[in-house]
Amino acid sequence: MTEQAPVSQNTEQVAAQPAVAQMKDDSYLLEVNNLKMYFSITSGIFARVKGFTKAADDVSFFIRKGETLGLVGESGCGKTTIGRCIARAYEPTAGEILYRLADDSVVDLAQLKGKDVRPYRKDIRMIFQDPYSSLNPRMTVFELVSEVLKVNNLVRPAQMKDRVEYMLERVGLRPEYMQRYPHAFSGGERQRIGIARSLITDPRLVICDEAVSALDVSIRAQILNLLEELQADFDLTYLFISHDLSVIRHICDRIVVMYVGKVVEVANGLELYTHPKHPYTEALMSAVPISNPRVRNRESRIRLHGEVADPSNPPSGCYFHPRCQYAQDICASDEPALRELDGNRFVACHFAEELDLRGAAMED
Amino acid sequence: MSETLIKVTDLKIHFFTDEGVVRAVDGSDLTVERGRTLSLVGESGCGKSVACRSLLQIVHSPGKIVSGEIMYHRSMGNGLDEVIDIAQLDPKGKQIRNIRGKEISMIFQEPMTSLSPMYTVGNQIVENIQLHTDKTKKEAHALAIELLDKVGIPKPGRLVDEYPFRLSGGMRQRAMIAMALSCNPNMLIADEPTTALDVTTQANILDLMLDLQRQYGMALLFITHDLGVVAEIADDVAVMYLGKIVEKSDVDTIFNNPQHPYTQALLRSIPKVATRREELDPIKGMVPNPYRRPEGCPFHPRCAKAFSECRTIVPSVTHLGENHTVQCLLYEDLSDKKSMEQSL
Repeated sequence: MTEQAPVSQNTEQVAAQPAVAQMKDDSYLLEVNNLKMYFSITSGIFARVKGFTKAADDVSFFIRKGETLGLVGESGCGKTTIGRCIARAYEPTAGEILYRLADDSVVDLAQLKGKDVRPYRKDIRMIFQDPYSSLNPRMTVFELVSEVLKVNNLVRPAQMKDRVEYMLERVGLRPEYMQRYPHAFSGGERQRIGIARSLITDPRLVICDEAVSALDVSIRAQILNLLEELQADFDLTYLFISHDLSVIRHICDRIVVMYVGKVVEVANGLELYTHPKHPYTEALMSAVPISNPRVRNRESRIRLHGEVADPSNPPSGCYFHPRCQYAQDICASDEPALRELDGNRFVACHFAEELDLRGAAMED
Repeated sequence: MSETLIKVTDLKIHFFTDEGVVRAVDGSDLTVERGRTLSLVGESGCGKSVACRSLLQIVHSPGKIVSGEIMYHRSMGNGLDEVIDIAQLDPKGKQIRNIRGKEISMIFQEPMTSLSPMYTVGNQIVENIQLHTDKTKKEAHALAIELLDKVGIPKPGRLVDEYPFRLSGGMRQRAMIAMALSCNPNMLIADEPTTALDVTTQANILDLMLDLQRQYGMALLFITHDLGVVAEIADDVAVMYLGKIVEKSDVDTIFNNPQHPYTQALLRSIPKVATRREELDPIKGMVPNPYRRPEGCPFHPRCAKAFSECRTIVPSVTHLGENHTVQCLLYEDLSDKKSMEQSL
């Protein structure tokens, strides 16, 4: 790998880094380092590669055991791509995805090929956005939920029914409905089926990709509560991908903000909302609609001009500089690296220390 | 100060399907004032879109306006109003076609599906202008460019001849707005116009709509299920549940002093930015199957404050304040209704 440092002179460090990968901290469940996922753009009948869409470019973050990490950003910023790389639905172009197993050993998921990924599929599961298209209409609920157990030989056939029944009950569905097809269920119930399908393998990390975005407000609240309840009961760690900032605020401990394939800021929930350090985060926070008409203040809102940059042809320097109201010359030429400010806070902006940015308006 | 533009009284729109009759809108009253923003909120399937479509007579079959009035106060220019009952007009008639797209226009949720992929953006705007005015093609084209510029599309002279697929979601919605504004309407109906957009784009589109409203003085009927958006832009709010307007008031009252249990529950179920609460307080159950409407108050199976009468008596409109109405038995004097029931 290109990112790896040349053999160090320091013998101590060599000894501390054996062939098996190591994480920076024992509390991490997952550590993503310099992850890149490029999709090639081809043209002509010979499919000549004419460029790359950099859906994820040099992305680094970590997830602690038992926490909920939020991943926010506008559509097309690479949130879903990162989720899929971690679940190994995609093979990353470069970078590391270090994952800590139950026995504390660490494996780099990005290096695994073909069949080697399989053992981890039951550990890292996904919940999808659209409960209508993510369930096969020709399979019954029982078939849908038990499929993964059957494929991976996780449970003996005799116990299959009990296991599915138990899981359905846990997600708030009546086990009697096991033989029905998805069309007989409402959107919220289907999302519960999707959750049962993900949790049936006893996973450790669940990637919720816009899991509540397609649901009505009242159903959304039910599913959010369910997810939190299940997290406590089954000791789950969530990577929660969403573009809805109020949902993210509600469910996440820490939040990663992305813009055009790059991480621009990482912070604790409240800090990110009250004291953003990146101008893009400030603009995002300023755009959140606040559900109290008394704090309505549209005039002071930050209006972002222009469009989100094209990930196949990004601007020079900082990707956000053409839309940034604080941009200076250096922003157009030098790309800011993601750096640590104070504990747990990371930001990719040249002027993070100097800028005094506004947080989101609060309801009361 | 405020002038009525549209007054809807006891509107009923039913869908006659093979499985039965769906009462999508079941006796709703609404008033849209000139130059103000009315927001219609509720969960999916509660009849918001159908109610708004009826104002333009574009309720699709098998839906039908069964009864009720939609009184449209059309300004004659000399300080007098001509009043037309839109509900009585032929959906294909000349009169409604003169109103539709000209005096009242509409924008939809999915900007991709509501623009034709076969024609350029400019063509589609020019079509609407030429349909309603006697401008020449050249003048209409120039006006289209001006409108695109006004809604904040960069390089409108070039984009006017592009097909919709070349535009991003936010740009398409801007083009839709430009088209809707092309004939200087009295009222703009926006059916979830920002639901498919990102927050930053949403904020820009909302700003744009409010700016244009101020400029043109048009009324805005805004349908959404996002209470945050309602709080940001509405003057008045109507909360809908299963075809009925259960509560209606100015925006401040709805958010800070809601009276109907459904409004209260809706507000409790949304996550807030200010506080990270331990648990959200969702409304139990879900919107019932439209073929199996509950008897009595439609909300009673999910209502935390329901009492025995709610199962049998349909609540009627109660006035709580000058502009505040609610349909809930908690606020009604039940003695009359009970005696009526007994006599039946």
